Amino acid sequence: MKSIDNLLDRIDNRLNPIVVKELRQAVQGKFLIVILICFLCLQLLIMGLFLITDESISTSFNAGLNTFRVLQSILFGTCLLFVPAYTGIRLASERADANVDLLFITTLAPRSIIWGKFLAALVITVLLYSAGMPFMTFTYLLRGVDLPSVFILLALNFIVVAVSIQCAMFIGCIPANRVFKVILGVGWFVIIIVIFFTLIAITFAPDGLLDAGMGSQLGSWKFWRNALTVLVGGLSLIGICALLSAALISPVSTNRALPVRIFITAVWILSGASAAIWSIDVNDFNPIMVWAIVNTLLHSTGLFVAVSERERLGWRVRRTVPRRWVFRPLAFLFYSGAAGGVAWASLIITLTVLSAVTWLTVFPHMGTGDEMHRIAPLAILGLYAFSYALGASLIRRNFLADRVTGPHTWIIALVLLGVTTTIIPLSLFFVHGKWEENSLVMSPLGAFLFHESAVVPFSLAVSIFCAVVIGALNLPWFFRQFGNFRAPLKRKQKTVPKETNPDSETESPKSP
Amino acid sequence: MQVNILNLTKDFGAARAVDDISFSVSSGEIIGFVGPNGAGKTTTMRILATLDEPTSGDAKIDDLSIVELPEKARQLVGYVPDALPMHRDISVHEYLDFFARAYGLVGPQRRQVVEDVEEFTNLTAMREKTLYALSKGMKQRVSLARSLLHDPPVLVMDEPAAGLDPRARVELRELLRILSSQGKAILISSHILTELSEICDGAVIIEQGRIITLGTLQDIAKPEVEQHTVLIRALNRQDDMYNSLLLHPNIAAANRLVDQIEVKINGSEEVCSDLLDNLVRDGYRIVEFKQQGSDLETVFMNVTKGEE
Repeated sequence: MKSIDNLLDRIDNRLNPIVVKELRQAVQGKFLIVILICFLCLQLLIMGLFLITDESISTSFNAGLNTFRVLQSILFGTCLLFVPAYTGIRLASERADANVDLLFITTLAPRSIIWGKFLAALVITVLLYSAGMPFMTFTYLLRGVDLPSVFILLALNFIVVAVSIQCAMFIGCIPANRVFKVILGVGWFVIIIVIFFTLIAITFAPDGLLDAGMGSQLGSWKFWRNALTVLVGGLSLIGICALLSAALISPVSTNRALPVRIFITAVWILSGASAAIWSIDVNDFNPIMVWAIVNTLLHSTGLFVAVSERERLGWRVRRTVPRRWVFRPLAFLFYSGAAGGVAWASLIITLTVLSAVTWLTVFPHMGTGDEMHRIAPLAILGLYAFSYALGASLIRRNFLADRVTGPHTWIIALVLLGVTTTIIPLSLFFVHGKWEENSLVMSPLGAFLFHESAVVPFSLAVSIFCAVVIGALNLPWFFRQFGNFRAPLKRKQKTVPKETNPDSETESPKSP
Repeated sequence: MQVNILNLTKDFGAARAVDDISFSVSSGEIIGFVGPNGAGKTTTMRILATLDEPTSGDAKIDDLSIVELPEKARQLVGYVPDALPMHRDISVHEYLDFFARAYGLVGPQRRQVVEDVEEFTNLTAMREKTLYALSKGMKQRVSLARSLLHDPPVLVMDEPAAGLDPRARVELRELLRILSSQGKAILISSHILTELSEICDGAVIIEQGRIITLGTLQDIAKPEVEQHTVLIRALNRQDDMYNSLLLHPNIAAANRLVDQIEVKINGSEEVCSDLLDNLVRDGYRIVEFKQQGSDLETVFMNVTKGEE
């Protein structure tokens, strides 16, 4: 008994404190208990009704499959809807009450806080899963569904729920007012509903995952390729959202961007390699194209975020800047800071587009001939995102420095984007009385709409021109930040002067 | 142990919240941090608690810079914020246990520390109550208990007496005295200046981010020109006495109150004594001659302009 106690003590000591706290709160709160009881009652009711009303239960070979469909949908729906919502809302309310601040003053790292909350949410999901397990087992006994299918499907659902939890936590961490968070929450809810029905359709459609049973596919490379892609994709999304959430709750003075940029760069490389393997495997350019589109969109958005970062680094970050000149430019790309962030995102976009072009040049037989027209809009998107982001920074610094702070630069960028992609085209429409493709020449996404027309080369030329001009105007800003990005030689320690402040009546700072 | 705040400055955009302030707090001292709303008290305290980074300057706990090594500084500072814990679904004991874990306390040591702190802050009887069900005074105790879990030598307390009833204030005062006697350096901000003057060894008065005055309470309460405020009540000829006081060479000002006269006398206590002697000799039947002390509140009102 003593050894068991020791073991339990050891586990207890190693547990993330946040997990312990969150689970204690979950158990004592009413929400989880109500959800769990409702969930069990619903499963029991459906199983009971099915057994009582279905007369073909003893003769049908699909009785188990039919029951499984309903029970699995309830389990998946409950976990997908309530667990992320519970976790996200709790986190958002803690942020609103500034209680998270209290967590900072302990030795807990923001990363531990996020992972702790995530793990606690996963434990709640496992609790709901285990509550549904007896019913799932019963469906197997009723025939029509094989065990590998049950486990694989539940695992797939679990990954989707985990991603959804982390996304909800990310939204909960966004430092915005309640109205904005509610809008984001509603958007998240709509996406969840779409994901739920899409996955249910993929699973239970006539040609879906359960139709032929997944046990027979376990030996095929195609199955494992798809499974690995889903797993790596899910883990990547979880990692990105977790690091972004940790960055959002970290003090501004810390190097918040470093782990996020390192992780996203690693995901970019890994996903690129996966897309390359897929492309060779299916002998098609599309996997590379999907990878390029996702990364260009992601990093174009990243440019708007990066340009809103702080321009002056504090002591806490600067003391960790590498002293060797070889590593300094590399650190500049990955460390917090507006100019470094813009350079990093721009570099990734450039490399993405170049990789796609190179791939098509090396394997021309994979394409159908119009791929270059599909890649050009990506370049236009990246160039315009660069121009709008840096244009906004330029305007803020030169004209709105007193009114708009650095962290709000993205708002100016969005206003610029709105003016050039909505107001100008609409004005032209009212003036000419007809819709012209050229009116969307300044839109980052316009080229996607007209990727086969002559607008694309024109749009590409304009976007290059804008990027070069705005980039050149921002060069002094960029070099100033790069010049300041160096480790301090020695902390400047002021001696305590007799007169601290000429305007102050205080004569000398002393122990009161 | 000594906390030295050295030329601390904090800017929020174009606005300067804290402007080059320097002072120190030593072990066993309780220093009041006083100023009007928006003076920069909370910003300074958040910097000390490593929640914010100063624009320039530093704060050192002995030789440890909170700017350079905030992680180590957190082990040395207990911070009591002005926001109180509001969780509905966690008990006092679980809340304290969580923070003890967060500070890295493990096993029997953690259990012992939590029990000790609960006992010290008189929370043992209500350890199973949820935080939400506690009164404001009790929540304040929980907040204080939380900040003591890792036994920090420095306590930074932001408005701990705000909203407390008189009994809770007295209890808090007693706790602070005990903590001070244990050798903790305590920096405490409050708007209740009479409260501070009873427990503090010294005070720092800050306005618009700048230190207006600082020192021991006796030092900062001492006016530049020696002056005494005295309340005088006579049973007869109150009007005559008021008129004669106005003509007295050492009287700086005289105000008529309901049944008293408030007099500001320039000079030492001997001048006050002579005045009383003269009034009795002139036939006034004096029943009250009371010297008013110059407390922290008076000093605060004198030195601050009340600008936010």
